[in-house]
Amino acid sequence: MHDSSGAWLLLAAVACALAGMGWLALSLPAHVQQAWGRNAPAGLLRLHRALGAAAVALALVLCLGADHASIAVLVWAMTLSGAALAVAFALAWRPCWLRALAPWMRGRVR
Amino acid sequence: MFQGFRQAMAWVHTWFGLVLGFVLMAAFFFGALSVFDREIDRWAIPATRFEPQPMPSFDAVLRPAFERIQPTPEAIEAMRPRVDGPMPAQYDTVGTWSAYTTHRDPVLQLFAGFVVPNARHAGDLLWADATIDPRDGRPLPDDRLKVGSGFFFPLHYGLTLDWRNLGIWIVGLSALVMLAALATGVVMHRHLFREFFTFRPDRARLRSVLDLHNLTGVVALPFHFFFALTGLLIFAATYYFPVGHTQLHELHDLNARLEAGRTGLPHERAGVAAGLADVDAMVADARRRWAEDGKAGDVGFLVLQHVGDANGYVSVYRAGTDRIALVGDGIHYRAATGELIREDPAPTPVERMAQFLTGLHLQHFRHWLLRWLYVLGGLAGAVCIATGFVFFVEKRKRQHARQGRQGARVVDALAVAAVTGMVLAALGILVANRLLPEDLPARATWERCAFWGTWMAALLHAAWRSAPVAQGLPNPAWREQATAIAVLAVSAAVLNWITTGDHLLRTLGAGNWPVAGVDLALLATAAIAAAGAWRLRRRARAVATPRHAVGPEPRHA
Repeated sequence: MHDSSGAWLLLAAVACALAGMGWLALSLPAHVQQAWGRNAPAGLLRLHRALGAAAVALALVLCLGADHASIAVLVWAMTLSGAALAVAFALAWRPCWLRALAPWMRGRVR
Repeated sequence: MFQGFRQAMAWVHTWFGLVLGFVLMAAFFFGALSVFDREIDRWAIPATRFEPQPMPSFDAVLRPAFERIQPTPEAIEAMRPRVDGPMPAQYDTVGTWSAYTTHRDPVLQLFAGFVVPNARHAGDLLWADATIDPRDGRPLPDDRLKVGSGFFFPLHYGLTLDWRNLGIWIVGLSALVMLAALATGVVMHRHLFREFFTFRPDRARLRSVLDLHNLTGVVALPFHFFFALTGLLIFAATYYFPVGHTQLHELHDLNARLEAGRTGLPHERAGVAAGLADVDAMVADARRRWAEDGKAGDVGFLVLQHVGDANGYVSVYRAGTDRIALVGDGIHYRAATGELIREDPAPTPVERMAQFLTGLHLQHFRHWLLRWLYVLGGLAGAVCIATGFVFFVEKRKRQHARQGRQGARVVDALAVAAVTGMVLAALGILVANRLLPEDLPARATWERCAFWGTWMAALLHAAWRSAPVAQGLPNPAWREQATAIAVLAVSAAVLNWITTGDHLLRTLGAGNWPVAGVDLALLATAAIAAAGAWRLRRRARAVATPRHAVGPEPRHA
């Protein structure tokens, strides 16, 4: 179906969606608590929200690069659904995996 | 006031969801399977396990195959009431020949419509069909049940209740209720964004079940909404408002004639015999025209209208694999001369919207990632409904146990049948498909019987084991049927190996993804069901052994 560049674009879109949904989750105090066992300052929560929004938008751009626009919109919407499920399950069973998304938090662990 | 509104929404959500949730469960689960209906067909009919083929040459393959087609005696009998006088002795006037394929079909479907003189309604044709191997035109057995496209798919949209399209009306009503359930669910949800990613499996059962219900409902909300909506739209256009074919019959015919005048595509035969120009050249010309417009040039549907008549024409339609919209981009040629009559004009904005919405649901596109994401969306919907049932029961069963009522027990048994029972039934038909002798008469009927029999057995088992629910305890049927799913799923994959020799190493090595994919999905189902059964068993043991007896100290010390 796709030439190899299309497949790479889609893979990148999936990665962006996962990271974006992960950052959006880490903009909520409850999930920060789950991942690090402590709270983060409000500024960092806002940073995570901005990063999440940017990554989600970038995922759309990557989808548009891979397919006809009508297909790309659906791939994007469904990838976001899948990514949100993946992040929710990660938070339920392996919340520490989300630490990889915010290495800047490490220095702040007390 | 708001409290009252929210409670009203909760009432609608709970009770409409409960009653039609059982139908929605089937629509979502078999819809998810129908995303790969053609691939399931390959698994179920080993003679068709070869690569998808493009539309073959008309002269070399299609024409001889078309000329072999004759109506079946059953079709002739079915037509008899619609004809004045006796049926003709032979059928040699062809009203239409057509061939249909998709990018996932190795086999080619052929259709022929024969003109019957004295038919009460002019234009009422006697239909016949055939399935061929497009590589050489060899006819393939047509009596094998296409378990994916011929059974799971009709179950998805009509529950196979064909009588007066009853199933289609029930599923449509359920889709309407689904839309209402989504709206009321969003109103009821207190923390839609704050708890967007929230699933707490370690919390109390009621809480964790509600988390999963909310999660699968909310994250796939666009999917649930658009599939319920577009499903309804497709039904509305085809079944619910077919005014053109019922109330407006006369007007419909007039419109068809006027349209024929406008498009130059003759509505009726001229009654003058004529030859047939080179159809392969017309197809090549159509592909060239599509290519000039930057569209993928695979032919999906080829139609010859008024065959052998001076008014005959050939329509070539594109398989719209490169976009969501269900488009044909038809190009039409005069059959006798091969000259171009017309190219379908670009759709209006309303038509484009309709094509996008129907295409979104019917998925003719070539995009494997999106197909899998659709399966995920469908299964998320199924999980959402299943957890809705479980929440309903968990919330009430202790109270019902105290009051000596049976409501929770009945709903729980039905939920077992609708969740694990449905998976068991789907596995039952696959196992029967591989176990029944190849030449068994009415094999397809036996396969259907295996499906409904397995489902009925699951319901009876769930009802038989449901007594603990009336005491506020879980129904052991959940874990027993989960174990049965694991056993049946592995059996189906192993039976495929034994009966066809296509084990996973071979199919994966050969890149035979349809068959390998079904086997892998079966094994994944088995793994998930086994893990679920194991967890349920552990939980049942923990409940059965009182907590203070588990400690290291003997009780009577």
